[in-house]
Amino acid sequence: MRARSGALCGILASLAAALSLSAEPPTDSIYHLQAQLTTENAARVGLDLDRGHPTVISMFYGSCPAACPMLITAIQVYESQLDESARARLRVLMVSFDAARDTPAQLAHLARLHRADPERWTFANASESDARKIAALLGISYRRLPGGDYDHSLIITLLDGEGRIVASTARLVGDEQFAARLRAAVQGPMR
Amino acid sequence: MPSRVFLALLLLPCLATAAPEENRFLAVPGAEFRSALPLGKRDDIRVQSFLLQSHPVTNGEFLAFVTAHPRWRRGAVPAVMAGDDYLGTWTGPLELGAGAGASQPVTRVSWFAAQAYCEAQHARLPDWYEWELAAAASESVRDARSDPAWRQQLLDWYSRPAGKPLPDVAQGPANVYGLYDMHGLVWEWVRDFNSLLPADADPEKFCGSGALDVQQKDNYAVLMRIAMLGSLRAADTGHIVGFRCARSADAAP
Repeated sequence: MRARSGALCGILASLAAALSLSAEPPTDSIYHLQAQLTTENAARVGLDLDRGHPTVISMFYGSCPAACPMLITAIQVYESQLDESARARLRVLMVSFDAARDTPAQLAHLARLHRADPERWTFANASESDARKIAALLGISYRRLPGGDYDHSLIITLLDGEGRIVASTARLVGDEQFAARLRAAVQGPMR
Repeated sequence: MPSRVFLALLLLPCLATAAPEENRFLAVPGAEFRSALPLGKRDDIRVQSFLLQSHPVTNGEFLAFVTAHPRWRRGAVPAVMAGDDYLGTWTGPLELGAGAGASQPVTRVSWFAAQAYCEAQHARLPDWYEWELAAAASESVRDARSDPAWRQQLLDWYSRPAGKPLPDVAQGPANVYGLYDMHGLVWEWVRDFNSLLPADADPEKFCGSGALDVQQKDNYAVLMRIAMLGSLRAADTGHIVGFRCARSADAAP
């Protein structure tokens, strides 16, 4: 009897978790934005595709010669400081604001080049209009230059499972406060 | 349907007729243009032909929008998309009240709300270059920026005391494109408001040596706008920040 009610509680708890995930996100969540992203697998997803997991999110463009590869490497260095079970909870979402050139095939190439864990990392592009809104939510500024390059700020943002901004950094290496927030986020409960 | 909503719907035609004139989309022909923004190189930029609304969006127009789109009403908008004082000059979520005339420009709107309003009109916010091109015109010429008298007129606006109620839209003369209130009434959101300064620019430097990077340094009225827009965040709801919408000339209406 006891064991059975335990199992029942487990089912109820997971039901409750599923229900709360499908509910409206909290008022300060960036998941309120209804944006459409196209991933490296050509899947159409929303900004909240990793809802339920702490997520590192940033913006880039694939043909960027130096700064963007550094940005991807920097996130990999931050996550390499986590132990394996904690890292397994983390998701990473890299959004390109250059949808014309960063096609799914190009994004998939980039993901392989950086050996990004396909289970946890998503590379995606967004329309001009959606990219502007995502950038606005993350405090990222970017401008397309006449030659086709982009002038943009490098900002790495940590979201909790509900899409609330927990921390952000403009330092590609050695931001200890950001690293600490990241550790705390992935060591907490799954939500 | 709640009776208040119903009432607001009934009132819509009255609000529309109370507006000074229909907020039409007017053509601004494309042009080679020397922007005041710092560019990688100092070439002119090419602005394609576009359409711009004849005056800033009014409280009456914005009331019609939130009546039809409940998620953009005060109290319903997520905090991440609009600050606490969103539509703070209105009496209620669907009531303008004495502090917000139907023909006054709507203010205390965030960038997200302004963008949503424009999307509902099958439009968008203008880009900075579009806004700057349209705002360079006087009543008689397309580029009045080198005219000292015109510049002085703009600067006089910035030195006027704040705190008075905003005038109604479209009270002054229209510029050569037929556009009202490009200067002198409210600041206006642009689509790329957060990308006007170089990514590493420190707004404080704007008044110092960093200003050397900005072209047309003597065009203070426009530079003040760039500095102000660059200091805003997308959820901010400033008391004199409004907007108007634009369309690309080749886009379907």
